[in-house]
Amino acid sequence: MRKMTFVLTALLLVAVLGTAAAGERIRMGVVVKIGGIPWFNAMEEGIRKESPKQNIDAWQIGPTSADPALQVRAIEDLIAQKVDVIGVVPNDMQVLEPVLQRARSQGIKVIMHEGPEQVNKDWDFELVSVEFYAESHIKKFAELLGGEGEYGLFVGSLTVPLHNAWADVAIEYQKKNFPKMKLVADRFGVAESLDDSMRTANELMDKYPNLKGILTFGSLGPIGAGRAVLQRNKVNDVVVVGAFSAGQGQRLLEQGAIKAGYTWNPMVAGEVFCRLARMLVDGTPIVDGKVIDGMGKVSVNNDTKVILGQEVEVLDKANIQRLVDMGL
Amino acid sequence: MSNRSNFWVQLPAIGLPALLAASLAIFGLLLPGRFWSVGAFESMAFQMPELGLLTLAMFLPFVSAGFNLAIIVTANITGIFMAWLWVNMVPSDAGTGLQIFWVALGLLGAMLIACLIGVLIGSLVAYVGVHPILTTLGFMTLIKGVGIFITRGAPVSGMPPVVQFLGTGSFLGVPMPMVVFILTALAMLVLMNRTSFGKYVYMSGSNINATYFSGIGTHRVIIGIYVISSLICVLAGLVMNARFNSARMGYGDSYLLLTVLAIIMGGADPLGGFGKVGGLVLALFVLQIISTGLNLFGVSQHVSLAMWGAVLIFVLAAKFFNRRYYLPWAQRRAAGPDSCSV
Repeated sequence: MRKMTFVLTALLLVAVLGTAAAGERIRMGVVVKIGGIPWFNAMEEGIRKESPKQNIDAWQIGPTSADPALQVRAIEDLIAQKVDVIGVVPNDMQVLEPVLQRARSQGIKVIMHEGPEQVNKDWDFELVSVEFYAESHIKKFAELLGGEGEYGLFVGSLTVPLHNAWADVAIEYQKKNFPKMKLVADRFGVAESLDDSMRTANELMDKYPNLKGILTFGSLGPIGAGRAVLQRNKVNDVVVVGAFSAGQGQRLLEQGAIKAGYTWNPMVAGEVFCRLARMLVDGTPIVDGKVIDGMGKVSVNNDTKVILGQEVEVLDKANIQRLVDMGL
Repeated sequence: MSNRSNFWVQLPAIGLPALLAASLAIFGLLLPGRFWSVGAFESMAFQMPELGLLTLAMFLPFVSAGFNLAIIVTANITGIFMAWLWVNMVPSDAGTGLQIFWVALGLLGAMLIACLIGVLIGSLVAYVGVHPILTTLGFMTLIKGVGIFITRGAPVSGMPPVVQFLGTGSFLGVPMPMVVFILTALAMLVLMNRTSFGKYVYMSGSNINATYFSGIGTHRVIIGIYVISSLICVLAGLVMNARFNSARMGYGDSYLLLTVLAIIMGGADPLGGFGKVGGLVLALFVLQIISTGLNLFGVSQHVSLAMWGAVLIFVLAAKFFNRRYYLPWAQRRAAGPDSCSV
């Protein structure tokens, strides 16, 4: 009899824990900037893989063009379906405010990605914080330089707020921790153009013969600088570090013209959408220092409702093939 | 006897309503309880008016055998003007009366801008004789450039509550954007079917030279067409401002050629001269039902876009079949028994 009770209790416990882990089945639609491009295909893959594990019926909606009006239409149809959670990677945050307000007034939870300033949201998550991303780069860069020498800095454009924020953090970090390194000139806003990056890299090498490296934020900077370095046979003298799209920079990386870079992975973002949706619906508190799979230990701002992770993908010889296979 | 025969000849006229009923029925069957819901219809009623108003703006030039590529940018630039005025002039604690005053003033200013654009386009088309596609391509590019230059491509946001109500509110259960669309469509219906101007538009579309030699001032008619088209763009701009709580160059860019799709589907002749407002409205409903229905299925947006194209091709094929094979048969049938009985 006692044995029977034990077994029954155990079974009951398993059942209770089981449901607690899975929760009730919920439905989520994720509206991304545009459908049918590799970045968001990877995100869709992440959603497709992770949603069954979280017991979520989730799908991604990719508008046919980056017209913000189409995102509004997609969200309206999600409201009509009475989904539990709407995820959005916004083209234009202003446009979405009224429709997201309507969604939330009907009890739908809203999760943003790359939209920290959205007002009508439950949470926004960023896989990496500005600080962590910039520091990852400058640390690696300093390590490759041996902590000393002259270097140049590119950003996508002087008007891209995010790139310049990264540059500020990186310079600050370098001054504090690697005083022997020296930024030779003010940052150049060229890294969104291949030609400009190449030309500027060449000019820098002409003007500063002792140049040891170029750090670039902006996806075409490493490609341009890498090519310039390769053409001058300076692969072993000038270190190029920066994020680029994996397929485009693979050869340069393998030839050593680009040494490293960090990026974040849209597939992980897709998975995190599902995990956060589950936490939101179950009422799991999201607090500073909590470890979320795919984001690492997060820092949470309860006023702006932004969750910052610290997980980056390394663009190096070991990892690049995997990212290229994902189509990034 | 002749009654039944007439029935066969008249039959093709129910094509679009039948397509509408069929799409409603099919999605109702495939999505039990989900398609026939208040939510779904509300969603459709909120979405349709933007494309709907822009389609009405394209309709008038289209029927006159013209074209207006500048509809989106006209809606954008007048929208930005209104947004700029309201954001800067309306005090944040303004009462409803004061808000309505400024909204009316903004609309008036926007209409002046639209009139200017319309007169310029119309004059170039009518007096200089430049093809409307080229004229409006020029204006589209010009206005887009100026608009992006002035705003630096940034949105102007923060509409007064009265305007926001126009975007998110409802009147007797009908979403406000839909109310605006229905009123505009009714006005258009009256204009085209009950006024001499409407007749002139159809006539100019069929044969502008014959119309001219019939003693009708076709130049003025053409200018009128582009002015009215631009004025409807102001309403589209207003609805977009209200729905997005902001205005920016580029909102609604993707609608430009979809308006043509809706017009052709609605039975308008690509060469001008024929086309009914009612058909256009029905076509817009069919397109919206397909779009929302497929969205409820979770089908890729690219598939729904492809479906729109497929429906257009289907409608054109049906039209061809109708004109080439069906109508001659129906007419023979209508004539046949009479000739036999003689």
